[in-house]
Amino acid sequence: MADASALDTFPKLMRHNAQVRGGRPAMREKSLGIWQTWTWSEAQEEVKAFAMGLRALGIKRGDKVLIVGDNRPKLYWTMVTAQAIGAVPVPVYQDSVAKEMAYVVDHAGARVAVVEDQEQVDKLLEIRDDVPSLETIIYQDDRGLRHYTQPFLKNYPAVLDAGRAVLAKEPGSYDREVDAAKGADDSIMLYTSGTTGKPKGVVLTFDNVLSMAKAGVEFEKLTDKEEVLAYLPMAWVGDHVFSFGQSYVAGFCVSCPESGATVMHDLRELGPTYFFAPPRIFENLLTSVTIRMQDASRFKQRWFKYFLDLAKRVGEKILNGEAVSPGDRIKYRLGEFFVYGPLKNVLGFTRIRLAYTAGEAIGPEIFQFYRSLGINLKQLYGSTEASVFVTIQPNGEIRADTVGKAIPGVELKLADDGEVLFRSPGVFKEYFKNPEATADTKTADGWVHTGDAGMMTSEGHLRIIDRAKDVGKLNDGSLFAPKFLENKLKFYPNIKEAVAFGHQRDYVTAFINLDQEAMGSWAERNNVSYASYQELAGNPRVREIIEGHIREVNADLAKDPQMAPTQIRRFLILHKELDADDGELTRTRKVRRSTILERYEPLITALYDGSDQVHIETQVTFEDGREGVLKADLEIVDLSQNQSRKEAA
Amino acid sequence: MTETAAPATAEANPMAPPERRFGAPMLTVDSISLSFGGVKALTNISFDILEHEIRAIIGPNGAGKTSMLNVINGFYHPQEGTITYKGNVRSAMRPHMAAAQGIARTFQNVALFKGMSTLDNIMTGRILKMHNVRAPETGVWGLDHVLSFGAGALDFVTQCLYWGPNEKEEIRQRTYCEEIIDFLEIQDIRKTPVGRLPYGLQKRVELARALAMEPELLLLDEPMAGMNVEEKEDMSRFILDVNDEFGMTIALIEHDMGVVMDISDRVVVLDYGRKLADGTPDEVRSDQGVIDAYLGVAH
Amino acid sequence: MNLRSLTIGIGSGLLAIPIVGFLLQGLSQLDPAIFFAWDFYAEVVVKGLLQGVMYALVALGFVLIFKASSIFNFAQGAMVLFAALAMVGFMEWGVHWIPAFLLAGVVMVLVAFLIEKVVLRPMVNQPHIILFMATIGIFFVLDGVGQTIWGSNVKALDIGISRQPIVAFQGSLLPNGMYLDPTELVAAVVGALMVALLAVLFQYTKVGRALRAVADDHQAALSVGIPLKTIWAIVWSVAGIVALVAGVMWGSSLGVQFSLSLIALKALPVLILGGFTSIPGAIIGGLIVGAGEQVGEVFLGPLVGGAIQDWFAYMLAMLFLLFRPQGLFGEKIIERV
Repeated sequence: MADASALDTFPKLMRHNAQVRGGRPAMREKSLGIWQTWTWSEAQEEVKAFAMGLRALGIKRGDKVLIVGDNRPKLYWTMVTAQAIGAVPVPVYQDSVAKEMAYVVDHAGARVAVVEDQEQVDKLLEIRDDVPSLETIIYQDDRGLRHYTQPFLKNYPAVLDAGRAVLAKEPGSYDREVDAAKGADDSIMLYTSGTTGKPKGVVLTFDNVLSMAKAGVEFEKLTDKEEVLAYLPMAWVGDHVFSFGQSYVAGFCVSCPESGATVMHDLRELGPTYFFAPPRIFENLLTSVTIRMQDASRFKQRWFKYFLDLAKRVGEKILNGEAVSPGDRIKYRLGEFFVYGPLKNVLGFTRIRLAYTAGEAIGPEIFQFYRSLGINLKQLYGSTEASVFVTIQPNGEIRADTVGKAIPGVELKLADDGEVLFRSPGVFKEYFKNPEATADTKTADGWVHTGDAGMMTSEGHLRIIDRAKDVGKLNDGSLFAPKFLENKLKFYPNIKEAVAFGHQRDYVTAFINLDQEAMGSWAERNNVSYASYQELAGNPRVREIIEGHIREVNADLAKDPQMAPTQIRRFLILHKELDADDGELTRTRKVRRSTILERYEPLITALYDGSDQVHIETQVTFEDGREGVLKADLEIVDLSQNQSRKEAA
Repeated sequence: MTETAAPATAEANPMAPPERRFGAPMLTVDSISLSFGGVKALTNISFDILEHEIRAIIGPNGAGKTSMLNVINGFYHPQEGTITYKGNVRSAMRPHMAAAQGIARTFQNVALFKGMSTLDNIMTGRILKMHNVRAPETGVWGLDHVLSFGAGALDFVTQCLYWGPNEKEEIRQRTYCEEIIDFLEIQDIRKTPVGRLPYGLQKRVELARALAMEPELLLLDEPMAGMNVEEKEDMSRFILDVNDEFGMTIALIEHDMGVVMDISDRVVVLDYGRKLADGTPDEVRSDQGVIDAYLGVAH
Repeated sequence: MNLRSLTIGIGSGLLAIPIVGFLLQGLSQLDPAIFFAWDFYAEVVVKGLLQGVMYALVALGFVLIFKASSIFNFAQGAMVLFAALAMVGFMEWGVHWIPAFLLAGVVMVLVAFLIEKVVLRPMVNQPHIILFMATIGIFFVLDGVGQTIWGSNVKALDIGISRQPIVAFQGSLLPNGMYLDPTELVAAVVGALMVALLAVLFQYTKVGRALRAVADDHQAALSVGIPLKTIWAIVWSVAGIVALVAGVMWGSSLGVQFSLSLIALKALPVLILGGFTSIPGAIIGGLIVGAGEQVGEVFLGPLVGGAIQDWFAYMLAMLFLLFRPQGLFGEKIIERV
């Protein structure tokens, strides 16, 4: 790596890859039902031509290039093309509505947009009058666009041809442009979706992205033999690093699915070795497997269950390289042949060497299910401002409830209020045109506030417990992270929703919402009859089950000295399901704490005043829009007896 | 790499403004009457379909719309009247001959090969386009059948002996079908047995199979029946795209007036087997007879 | 049908047989009258398997027609007899067996065309049961016409296969080797070839695609321009040729006689086992029935007074109807709600 310093931008890396592994595949795309492949040299040729074509359209160093569309090789090449001539690519979520797109185009001052198809062209045409900076739109799929005659609309092949003409005249021009860039230059601008306020444009330099991409490649020993399916939005930093940055660093091939709807088929055909998915996708896959097994013959079901139970018992140990009896090892092999292998094949996970999940908490059951099949699924923690990586779980140290250790090059610290701060070479340069926000997030000495509250486990792993602003304190001063507790509770299928209280209180209490489907099927199996959710919630046997879950959670919390004080002392099962129509949940099914505090004030009082029962009347909106009052007497369950055990622990 | 182009039936028209250019009449129906055992299904119906137009046949339930389509397509043979198709006058033809002459159709209740995958269904639409298989041209059972049987047998033998050329042929046909799959955005169900698909998608697969036949005249029997609003919008868009990009002539039946009026160029209105009105959607909409017939069944 | 289920199918069949054998070995300890030895057992199994191929040859004809038109062709057995009679008829005129075979093939194609024109065409769009009844009619007509033309006495059909049993697999494992009937060996080879050929025909050719289309939906097939009548004629012709092959094989081992048309009855359990729509299923079903009834007859027969061969296959079929009505490889019966 003597000339490592020379490979400090992606266009330089691409040139390097085209030289050392020119014949190896760089990208694939399924088109017309067939996987088309481009080698690194073919890709380089196309990028050269497109770069000159863009330059011929008047794009200069420092200009912004908007990129909108599904994962397509040409759009990935547009990124490196823009970088080659010193422009900054700005990928935008392809499902943004026109208004959101207008904000980004205007804020970034993009001069040219490279888009996938008619859908995106239409959106840009709609907002064009509001965004004077946008001069040219280049589209790649001309379907439906034949009757569009606007002169500023250009077809991708036409731009390519123009670029080839330039190249023919001045063959060295592309290399001159590429050599003019250095690592400290801006490489990409990613807009964070931003739950509050306007999106912010995170500017990352080549050094940022490359350092973290390299760190990840070295940490996981990725090679140019990896197979990756690029199916998450290109505007998301994870995709930018996994499917773009690391591909250029390690030289592996990235494949694009045929369409959003075919991802699962394509996954299966491709069999990636390196895979990222948010917990939701792993959850959905598991659900689909479960549903399919329910339709299978009883013999198959039993067979399946036997081997899955075996995997649960020994699978993770085998994956972690721990000692397992030879008998179990042989049985696990058999299981691999009869059950795990075919199952992984169906899911497209046969060749997976490394899988990541991140973004939110993953259920331990789900996490362990995949690991027990021999899939090396790990959690990581990161953010756009970090060029993705902050922590990763090292091999052999996988825990369902942590996000791992800081990777080499990253420093971590916790603020007094529990907020996680980090510093690394990947730390972003700035928020575009927003110095105040930059200053708020990044300290002068380079530490970044994540806004997440976390804690370090005894093994030195980071555990994210909540958003920092939601973390409170018990009266005795110990940290109280409601979401952490609620997630722990919600991992039980019987519990649909949970709300924990404890900020400025002596102890922690909780509201529980039953999962009517799961509890209903339990009721059916156990001949418990009920007429309504309210009746089910009031059933003493149901209460016992929930109590059992909460005792388990408490026992788990008791093991951790930091968490032990936040064991749930008292709880009640709510008489109605929390409902977005009543304003108790957001439309995306997140709990609205303030509304709940207000509506159920008498219940909370009762949880803390020692009473065993409480009467409540609640205004509700029925499905047909009528309003009514729901009256109920709720039992409060006191788990104080657990206290002694806690102290013992 | 190849650019994804629309299947090239008609050559791509230049960047012309979207005004429609209608050609000569492609199909003319003249004084058609059809009855089943004394019950009149169609009485003295005449109209024509011009090249490149979208022609709708509408009417309340039982107006004779499907019978009309079945007459054009050769499933029914009218007792009176003639049909002129591409200049040839005839009183009746057989369905597979209609297919061979460039008439493709879809059915009200979806007639797909339920056990086959989407792709295989669409591939059956290519059967007439593959070399060696030919449909008999005449309805007379005789020499032509023997010939076509012989062709089939020959095909089988050649396929066994010369694998190579056939593979190429197969790939050529498959590519064509894949372009249609891409066009109708059904990549994700390519390998799914169509029996398992929801109704809306089955209708789309049926359209795909009809398109695979590269027809000159496409007959659609209630393409939007039983669909929700979103599916109807998709289907309308596909019909317009087919007409626009492939230059295909389309005759469609609907009983839901709303959508049809938006996408068709001219409309024939039938009621109780008789022609009630014929003209542009606006003309038809203001026709008193049509208003009366639709009163109470309006949508 | 995929490779996996095929492997499991064959595997479980092959496993089941030794298990039966093992049990019998145990039984033989109890009753010295039952002789069990591995080499003898192997010989019985192989004989059974070869017999099974013969059953499969007949079953294939059923599968073909059932696949293409969902009709259970009752006349398949009669077609076997008719084809064999035709061939013997030509040979009686002094024609060598090879041209006689080809001529008989032409006859079968003509028969297929006739059936299509006279019987099937007027019945387009009739319920399947009506078509099934029609095939019963075809059975009697073929049977009657065949015997009227060529007479009803038993005729030998000699295509030059030696009658001398072949000794095979002689070695350390089987010191005495194994006695095999050459006719059955030839039948096995021919059967394998037929299956390969038919699988290619159905799976990979345009005609095959058209056949499957016709089988699935007549109206839809017509609308994409598939000439229904031609396809039917092709299917019946192929079924006729399959019948001819079966007829030659059975005829040369049993002689050509009326009872040939009754071997169709043996094909029924084979079909139930293998699935009515699966060509490989017909073969696997045939193998299981053949091997099962031989083993049963030889080892269990003496215990229950023999004649197991007569009912074993039907018992097996009944069990299948109870637990797996679609057969090993048949298309799963999906109930539409």
